[in-house]
Amino acid sequence: MAEASQLFKEFKIQSVSEFFRRNAAMLGYTGKVRSLTTLVHEAVTNALDACEEAGIPPYVRVEIEELGSEHYRVVIEDNGPGIPEKYISHVFGKMLAGTKAHRNIQSRGQQGLGISGAVMFAQITSGKATRVVTSTGGEIVEAWVKIDVDRNEGKIIKKERHPNPKGWRGTRIELEVKNVRYIRSRQGVYWYLKLTAIANPHAHIELVEPDGRLIVFPRSSEEIPDPPVEMKPHPRGVLTDDVYRMAKKTRRATVKRFLVGEFSRISDKKVDELIEYIAALRLIKTEKDHKVREQLYERLVKGEVKAVLRSFRGYTKVLKNVARIMEKPPEKLSWHEAEEIVTAFKYMKFLAPPTHGLRPIGEENITKGLRGILKPEFVTAVTRPPKVYSGGIPFQVEVGIAYGGEIPSGFDVFRYANRVPLLFDAGSCVTTIAARSIEWKRYKVDDPDRTPLILMVNVISVHVPYTGTGKQSIANVEEIYNEIRLAIMDAARRLQTYLSGKHRRLHQAKRKKTFQRYVPEIAKALSVLTGEPEERVSEYFISFIENHFSAKEGTAEVSENA
Amino acid sequence: MPKGRAIHREKPKERFSYDPRKVLARLEEYGRRILQDIKSGKNPHFDIPMRGLSNVYFDESKGLIRMGEKLSRRYFLNVAHARKFMQTLIIMAYVKRLVSERKHASLREAYYANKHTIPGTKENTFEDQSESDPIIEDLERMMGVLREEMHITADRRGYIYGDIVIRDGEDEFNASRLGMGGWAVPGTVEHIQFPEINVDYALVVETAAMADRLIEEKFPKKENALIIATQGQASRGVRRLIHRLHYEEGLPIIVFTDGDPYGWYIYSTIKQGSINLAYLSDKLATPEARFVGMTMGDIRRYGLENVTEKLKGIPPNKKGGPTGDYKRIIEEMNYPWFQNREWQGQLKMALRMGVRIEQQALANKSLEFVAKRYLPEKINNGDLLP
Repeated sequence: MAEASQLFKEFKIQSVSEFFRRNAAMLGYTGKVRSLTTLVHEAVTNALDACEEAGIPPYVRVEIEELGSEHYRVVIEDNGPGIPEKYISHVFGKMLAGTKAHRNIQSRGQQGLGISGAVMFAQITSGKATRVVTSTGGEIVEAWVKIDVDRNEGKIIKKERHPNPKGWRGTRIELEVKNVRYIRSRQGVYWYLKLTAIANPHAHIELVEPDGRLIVFPRSSEEIPDPPVEMKPHPRGVLTDDVYRMAKKTRRATVKRFLVGEFSRISDKKVDELIEYIAALRLIKTEKDHKVREQLYERLVKGEVKAVLRSFRGYTKVLKNVARIMEKPPEKLSWHEAEEIVTAFKYMKFLAPPTHGLRPIGEENITKGLRGILKPEFVTAVTRPPKVYSGGIPFQVEVGIAYGGEIPSGFDVFRYANRVPLLFDAGSCVTTIAARSIEWKRYKVDDPDRTPLILMVNVISVHVPYTGTGKQSIANVEEIYNEIRLAIMDAARRLQTYLSGKHRRLHQAKRKKTFQRYVPEIAKALSVLTGEPEERVSEYFISFIENHFSAKEGTAEVSENA
Repeated sequence: MPKGRAIHREKPKERFSYDPRKVLARLEEYGRRILQDIKSGKNPHFDIPMRGLSNVYFDESKGLIRMGEKLSRRYFLNVAHARKFMQTLIIMAYVKRLVSERKHASLREAYYANKHTIPGTKENTFEDQSESDPIIEDLERMMGVLREEMHITADRRGYIYGDIVIRDGEDEFNASRLGMGGWAVPGTVEHIQFPEINVDYALVVETAAMADRLIEEKFPKKENALIIATQGQASRGVRRLIHRLHYEEGLPIIVFTDGDPYGWYIYSTIKQGSINLAYLSDKLATPEARFVGMTMGDIRRYGLENVTEKLKGIPPNKKGGPTGDYKRIIEEMNYPWFQNREWQGQLKMALRMGVRIEQQALANKSLEFVAKRYLPEKINNGDLLP
């Protein structure tokens, strides 16, 4: 027993860091390159979110300083609102708290650990505290933050105050990390920031690489996106656990009020309907004949709930029992009852969920972002209207296409979920699968591998369905797949129009040249035949060609506008 | 000259008519028309009679293969035409220089003389002789003048031997006093004149070997004949010479080929013209020509059964047939100009017997047999096929 309690004690002491280590893959801290990217991602995300919430056009500077072999100092500075002194330990120190993980809101954060995870990662690899310099406009506060793994709390181990004569405002975080590597690969920090800059044209992003090189992704749009709003969950998009947990937390008086108040698309009338469905489901369970049961379920799907109820004797009693649940205080709702409610939701019909909380980048800003960073010859973007997958989860798809210009040859897909670039697991991602399914030839892209073409896909949702724990690849959900395809095809059609126009212009120019290059020979021969001076004959032919093609261009433009 | 002969010289039907000014006038006229079009903003073009079987027909009354009326229009402002349009003008200008300078050029010379890189491009005016030759043919058809009249000549092939006097430029000579080799027929015979003709007819012989045999046997002298060796398919020069000798000098034309589909085709070309040169039939073909042999009838008549050779290919009644010679014979049977009793009989006989007979098979009898007996007998008796 003594041994066991000893073990238990040690286990407890190490719990938070153990949790971190064990779930490193899920949290994004695997691999030397990826860990560094995740670290930067957490800090940059915080910076962008803070700026957007405060309505400030973001300025984000990332510096990577090499201190030794696989040993770096990472500095992330923003011009955000700054962090009030008393919140510093909370923001940087508290694991699994204060994040948006429990809220029904579109968010950049994916891991639920946020910047505290980065602090933790720095701490366990280098043993150093994270230096935070921040100001809300007044004094500058400099703090060294560590995480107290025993208490799962942030701890400020040293704090200094400095005067702020220039009125600087913002936050600067310095993390010292080991066991990571900076490479300019497609999974590295450079690439991450480049893709982030494309999806956030309102942000100015800078990177100082370990060799001192400064890379600037300038701001290309002045429009700061509105912060996303929380949306009430849709009945079709919730699990039993959600309902159970929400019921425990709510301040509503009854289950009925709780359902109407905390979910979207549930009215008093819908609750009455819910009672009928739950009652019907209970009654169907009592039916012994397997075939009859199946038939009854089918009728329920068709909405014949009243008829199903009537086919059972004494159904009113069951109805009354169920109705009683709805009058209970919500905290008394049992797991079983919550489960019954969620099952009934699956049979019921609801209005589609509200989509006002989704924040697409927008066609104009995608265009600006692609144009600003990639310097292409042609850009187009499509933002599809919001749709719903698996019955109740709203999502929206955006696609951008950039062609030619400074883009190198080859087809590339830039994948995003809620504006965050996805750098790993491209093969299994629905965006890649959808992009591959497109018959590019139809859109005048004859050989995609040799075409300077970049396709950007952004999937926005309150719950992006990721595959696996890495959250770097979106699951192949049919509704999302179809939307991505439609968006790509829409954008590709515009590319096609551009390319065929380009081809036509090239073709015309080539045709014109064909004729022009024969003129000297023709003029010489005709001069021999007719005695007319060669130059004169040549002039006749050249002006004839000019007239012909200028007339033609005119008509071509007209037909294009028509 | 033996009496009672079926063959004798007739009165001329055409006159020597070569005039270089005609060609020059035509060239200038076409040039002016193009210039006129471009000045008035029209897309200039040439109208060129189409070549090929689709634009060819058989003129029954004249007995000639003739070119139809179909034209193809070659525009300047057409990506597919522009290059050929330029090439046409280049060749026209070249012909104008040739004719006015009284020079002659071979087809190959015409090609090389006009081949050069177009300034400012990597493109040549002509990449290959196969580009310049058709342009020259196009000009012939378009302007209705012979290539020879444009001073562009083909390789010479064929020769003549016999007691006629020829004037070629400044030279004048008798074609029976040039040795056993005779006089090689040049690519262009337009300018050739015949001050003196002492023969009764012209015998056109397919193979050089047979022509040499006849010359050695003194056949031309004894029979008062002019030997014309075609050396295979008759060249344009030879065909034009045959035409001129017949129409301008009234010489009867008798053709002597192998007894096989190829030999009969040679005869057909001399007589009716060819599909390729249908537009020149008026100037090249000699519908009055007649055929002396070899015929299928000769085999039995002269006892040549042992020296025949089997036709190549599969006969029509066998599986997979007809192919090879058989196929060729059946095609010839369908020619409009072979639609007569004699030729249908010959061709049917060839199919039935499945054999061919060469001119030189006559040597089986004796070397002088052809000159002493075969030809005199058939020709003097008028034993000729139409």
